[in-house]
Amino acid sequence: MTVRRSLVSIVDDDESVRESLPDLIRQLGFDVEAFASAEAFLASEFVNDTRCLVLDIAMPGMSGTDLQRELASRRETIPIVFITAGGDRTVRRRLLAEGAVECLFKPFSETALLDALNAALRMG
Amino acid sequence: MGTSLESAADEAERLRRCLNDLVSIMALPALWAGREPSQIVSTLLDTLRGMLRLTFVFARLPDPEGGPPTELVRMAEAAGGAAAARQISGSIDSSLGDAPAKWPSSARVVIGDADLSVASARLGIDGEIGIIVAGSHRLNFPDETERLLLDVAANQAAVGLQEARLLSEQTRRANESERQSRLIVDSIPGLVALLSPTGYIEMVNRPLLEYFGQTLEELRQWGTNGTVHPEDLPHVVEVFTRSITSGTPYEIVQRLRREDGIYRWIQNSGFPLRDTKGQIARWCVLLTDIDDRKRAEAALRQAYGHLAEAQRLSKTGSFITDLLADRRDWSEEAFRIFEFEPTTSITLHTIRGLVHPEDLPAYDAAYERAIEGVGFDMAFRIITSAGNLKHLHAVGHVMEEISGRPVFIGAIQDVTESKVAEEALNRVRSELTHVARVTTLSTLTASIAHEVNQPLSGIITNAGTCLRMLDANPPNIDGARETARRTIRDGNRASEVVTRLRALFSKKEFTPEPLDLNEATREVVTLSLSELQRNRMIVQSEFADDLPSISGDRVQLQQVVLNLLRNASDAMVGVHDRPRQLLIRTKREDPDRVRLTVRDAGIGLDRQTMDKLFDAFYTTKSDGMGIGLSISRSIIEKHGGRLWGEPNDGPGATFSFSIPCCARSVADAESAVKTS
Repeated sequence: MTVRRSLVSIVDDDESVRESLPDLIRQLGFDVEAFASAEAFLASEFVNDTRCLVLDIAMPGMSGTDLQRELASRRETIPIVFITAGGDRTVRRRLLAEGAVECLFKPFSETALLDALNAALRMG
Repeated sequence: MGTSLESAADEAERLRRCLNDLVSIMALPALWAGREPSQIVSTLLDTLRGMLRLTFVFARLPDPEGGPPTELVRMAEAAGGAAAARQISGSIDSSLGDAPAKWPSSARVVIGDADLSVASARLGIDGEIGIIVAGSHRLNFPDETERLLLDVAANQAAVGLQEARLLSEQTRRANESERQSRLIVDSIPGLVALLSPTGYIEMVNRPLLEYFGQTLEELRQWGTNGTVHPEDLPHVVEVFTRSITSGTPYEIVQRLRREDGIYRWIQNSGFPLRDTKGQIARWCVLLTDIDDRKRAEAALRQAYGHLAEAQRLSKTGSFITDLLADRRDWSEEAFRIFEFEPTTSITLHTIRGLVHPEDLPAYDAAYERAIEGVGFDMAFRIITSAGNLKHLHAVGHVMEEISGRPVFIGAIQDVTESKVAEEALNRVRSELTHVARVTTLSTLTASIAHEVNQPLSGIITNAGTCLRMLDANPPNIDGARETARRTIRDGNRASEVVTRLRALFSKKEFTPEPLDLNEATREVVTLSLSELQRNRMIVQSEFADDLPSISGDRVQLQQVVLNLLRNASDAMVGVHDRPRQLLIRTKREDPDRVRLTVRDAGIGLDRQTMDKLFDAFYTTKSDGMGIGLSISRSIIEKHGGRLWGEPNDGPGATFSFSIPCCARSVADAESAVKTS
């Protein structure tokens, strides 16, 4: 029988992230879908199945935080792990206060990512 | 008998007539009183002609002044005109000779075609008053009675004429004197009136009549006819009455209505003229139109008021000063600024005593130059005797030289408020600058971080994935190879980011142009001067005259100069025991290099830390970024030059840069950067 693995969706405009991160997350034992924009994710069929959203903050068009708010307004309670390349460490506190599970600053370690994903799945 | 009776009656009748005639002649002087000589002679001739039934009667009166004699004639038929007089006069002269004094008392004379008996009677003992010649057709003329009447009449006339002459002489003299005074009074350009001792206007001069356009009679009604301005009338009447009563002179300034109906300000002075006994004979009143003067005074007062007001509002005092004689002419506001009593006599010593100790060197220096006749424009502070700190701005230039000494005219402005505001503004500005710098830096670091973290993140993720794929059972070699390839790619990408960043920073717009380093430096000094002076820096410039033009980026070089000036100023902020001397100097170094040095008297340089000075982020300042000197050095090196610092023998440090004056290509400059 096929064990159905939890789906982690990645939304990041950076192509290298969409290339590399899914492989790692798959290696960690999850199913993965990657999207280049928040709009693409919302339009996809995976929104309901997504157990954890790995979300870039700064993106052209709808930003990560915009997507967080949009999901909240749709009463979608997908646990979110933010990832950011920005240097501003103060955003973490704010994002967590708004319900995010974690905020990882690039470059982040495998362990940090795994801990965050596990925490998210526990919540879901 | 009948004949004798008849002749006796005739004789009586003749005597009676003669007596009547005598009485008539004796009565003549009563008619003559106050008459002119010609009138006297006229009545005399009329009387004689009728009385003696004369064919003509002629009188010749020599002119006392030596002019032609007056001649009158009465003919039997009608009053003789001038022509008849001339004919008779001419006939008498030709018959009796031209010296009337020698004419016989009676003679026969042919006048025209008539042969007449004539009798003459001299007026005055020697005929000096004149002579009367009476003529008749009667052969027996004059008989005894006629002769008597003629002589008596001539006598009476002589006396009458004498008196008339005397009187007319007096009148003439009086008139002449009156005329002279009148002339004098009328030609006085002022307005003059003569009043009786009781104040009644007796006479006014022509200018006065013309000024008021009134007759003397109208002028006498001055108390009621509106000549005096109604507002002034009570006062005028009071003063005038008091003066007339007490006999003391008065002076009133009042408005009087001119002929054009306009009231003008008049100075009215009255004083009594006394006779030999000391009694007031007349009052003399002089009216002077002071309206224009009064207006000018009012305008001047107003202008002065405005000026004083403007000075007060702008807190600007003006002064004229002869420094060496220490003589000053100060406006009120200048006194107010220094908080001196208006009665204070201000000496150079008292002013200098108020100058803030830190500003004294600059003040004294300006004073020394001013004595040489150099104008000044300086800011300094004073502490008034009440303890108020004031920022003053003084400007002065030489107005004239009095016996070789310069006399300055100038203004001094209390700029305390704007200074305080400016300082507050500067504080805000520097805070803003700092905020802006921090903001820029954080934006910059965020973007640098983003650019670098992105590939780093990829490297770590890919490397981790790669390891996991290799560790899997069986190992996923293809996947590992793919992730390893991605790792290398991201590594290259990170390297590219760094290269791009370096290019971004080093590739400033470098636009070399021929420029005059003196001029570029002077601009910077000018721009920074007020800030430097605010920090009490004594800035001196020595620019070489023979500086060749250089090729460089004007703005960048000016930034270097500005940076060196700021550093020098910052190094001296804590200096209180010596002048904060800042010397900026240019000179030609080699034939083809120019050097600029900035020498301060600040905290100086430590030999051990000298090498670190030009490292980015090294600073001796608590609030500095330490980036200035390193950027400055890179700019100078880009110009193919070098920048260095060294401690002074005395206090402070000197920073210099030296650059070639002839243009080197940017490529040369960049290779110089790389090799340094």
